[in-house]
Amino acid sequence: MGFDLAFALSSVPTILGAIGMTLSVALVSCIGAAAIGFLFDVVRRVGGFVGLTISFVIDFIRSTPLLAWLYFLYFVLPFYGIRLGSLTVGVMGLSLYYSGYLAEVFKAGIDAIPKGQSEAARALSLSRRDAVIYVIAPQMLRNIAAPLGNYFVSILKATPYLAVLAVPEMLGRAFDIASETYRYTEPLVVAGLIFLALALVISHGVKRLERRLLAVGAR
Amino acid sequence: MPMSLFEIWLGILQGLGTTLAVTAYGLVFAVPFALVFGVAQYLTRGVARLLVTGVIEFWRSSAVIILLFVFYYALPVVGVTLSALTVSAMVLGLNAGGYASQAVRAGLQALPAGQKEAGAALGLSRPAILLLIELPQALIAMSPTFVNTLIQLLKATALVSLVTLTDMTFRAKEIAQVEYNPVAIYTALLLAFFVVCYPIALAGRWLEARVAAPGSRSSGI
Amino acid sequence: MSQQSEPIVDIQGLNKWYGALHVLNDVDLTVASGACVVVCGPSGSGKSTLIRCVNGLGSYQKGTLRLAGTTLGVNARETAAARRQTGMVFQSFNLFPHLTVLSNCTLALQRVAGRSRAEAEHIAMSHLEKVRIPEKAKSYPGQLSGGQQQRVAIARALCLNPRLMLFDEPTSALDPEMIKEVLDVMVALARDGMTMICVTHEMGFAREVADQVVFMDGGCILDRAPARDFFGGSGHPRSRHFLNTVLKH
Repeated sequence: MGFDLAFALSSVPTILGAIGMTLSVALVSCIGAAAIGFLFDVVRRVGGFVGLTISFVIDFIRSTPLLAWLYFLYFVLPFYGIRLGSLTVGVMGLSLYYSGYLAEVFKAGIDAIPKGQSEAARALSLSRRDAVIYVIAPQMLRNIAAPLGNYFVSILKATPYLAVLAVPEMLGRAFDIASETYRYTEPLVVAGLIFLALALVISHGVKRLERRLLAVGAR
Repeated sequence: MPMSLFEIWLGILQGLGTTLAVTAYGLVFAVPFALVFGVAQYLTRGVARLLVTGVIEFWRSSAVIILLFVFYYALPVVGVTLSALTVSAMVLGLNAGGYASQAVRAGLQALPAGQKEAGAALGLSRPAILLLIELPQALIAMSPTFVNTLIQLLKATALVSLVTLTDMTFRAKEIAQVEYNPVAIYTALLLAFFVVCYPIALAGRWLEARVAAPGSRSSGI
Repeated sequence: MSQQSEPIVDIQGLNKWYGALHVLNDVDLTVASGACVVVCGPSGSGKSTLIRCVNGLGSYQKGTLRLAGTTLGVNARETAAARRQTGMVFQSFNLFPHLTVLSNCTLALQRVAGRSRAEAEHIAMSHLEKVRIPEKAKSYPGQLSGGQQQRVAIARALCLNPRLMLFDEPTSALDPEMIKEVLDVMVALARDGMTMICVTHEMGFAREVADQVVFMDGGCILDRAPARDFFGGSGHPRSRHFLNTVLKH
């Protein structure tokens, strides 16, 4: 037996055909996770009972595995009559799971802005709204850009979890080939290498971005 | 008669032993890998460093779920037969070790150069400086990050249910086949992991407050 | 009462507590138009807290504070209008790191004063020239030395054409060789007739341009005198002691 290179190469087009699906799932999930995470952090800053509750929710999400969340959403939502496609459930699961991490990214990104910045904005008589738009938000975005990019890579590498819900992304396609041909090694190795290459290329891009952000506007 | 919530909970906890066994066995791979490769990346230059980085990046940057399947299906093909437990512990452990190796290297690099120089001025050999001066400080400073990695490893063990090991996740799926009560079953599964991971996270936060690691901004989980 | 004869800042019986800590204790201070007042005193004496109250950055619990004829905090619109007549320079510069030097200066001109971009840039450049740093207009704050950053911060505060400038230890975060370039700008500003309240330990600066020196300790104003009397050694024993320590530095 061993590794059949010709067979492996023949499986590349089929698996690579799902790369668009993989990237869009990762992108939509990352946006969803960032939106929920940002909301979590904003509400947490309100403090009080609501803030404590959100802190606990974040801790709970971060203490539980992605796979368990995918099963939970996949099997529990229909129980309450909510029928969604497995792709939707998968994106929801990824968004929810990573929102707990992105909440911390936003927290760190906002806390890293020195207090003097909003004081200077007030001393210049900028309105609160203008201070947020022109002073706080741009600095927050600069602070979170690199960690957000790193989490995008993490989310990308987690998209093959959706194969468990029979979403036809790259790992799903690899398993399709495997179950048709009874040869698992080649398609799985191909899928693995594609993900590895994607992760390395994007991580490299994030690193370069980080270096550029550090170079400009360092204080 | 339908199972009570308590019975479902107990049923899932029957998988706790496997979950913890994979985690502990995984650490057997993760800890030496992180130490050896983290230190090697710190000490080496040029081609050697490229090789070390290549190995680290393979384990760290691959999608762990695919790595698990690849090794589970491919090793027997090339004549290596390992138990599902060993394959799982190795893949999850080396993936976690890849992450931890970066913390080891970053911790070593973050030390002021004066530490190494002070050791040399005392006449210590390079290995002695590494073992007695640099590593202890780096490992203590990065300990909150290691706790995070441990939690990630523990959570990643849910994947072993996909390669037939009867961990908590596997038990939940088994129970779901005889009992139509998804809300109770999957809530119990989430809670089971929470009960195991949350105390570790709290311990990590306590550690972080004590060491106040430079450059680590983790918050415990 | 005409605006000319009324003092720009009129503080009566100002009190502030942080919990049990009495940080401002019955402070009275009036600053006439065109005057330069230097506030000094040991750290924790309440001097920064005091000038932060003047432009509404800090709050207080008791007393009255009239700024440009308006009692702060009574009417939101009038308070905002009065605050707009002040400019502030901070110890840590607080330039916006993501904006160029020019954009730091034009931001409030465009968003607060409603100037067009061209007008704002024209005004900003004139102030950057005044602080002798127009060539750095396109640079980012991170590319500037501390002294250069502080001069930009002064230009930024001047852009809204304030009647009162507040300086909160403007040279304390600077390396010694950069202090002079900032003080020179401040001296020129004072000579131009700008009304200023400066929290600073730079006694040379005080001697040169201050009309009045105020010495604070423990939240109280212990001593206030025209600069020449203050340095003449006729003041409160505590301020003489302070002066001796600072001048020996």
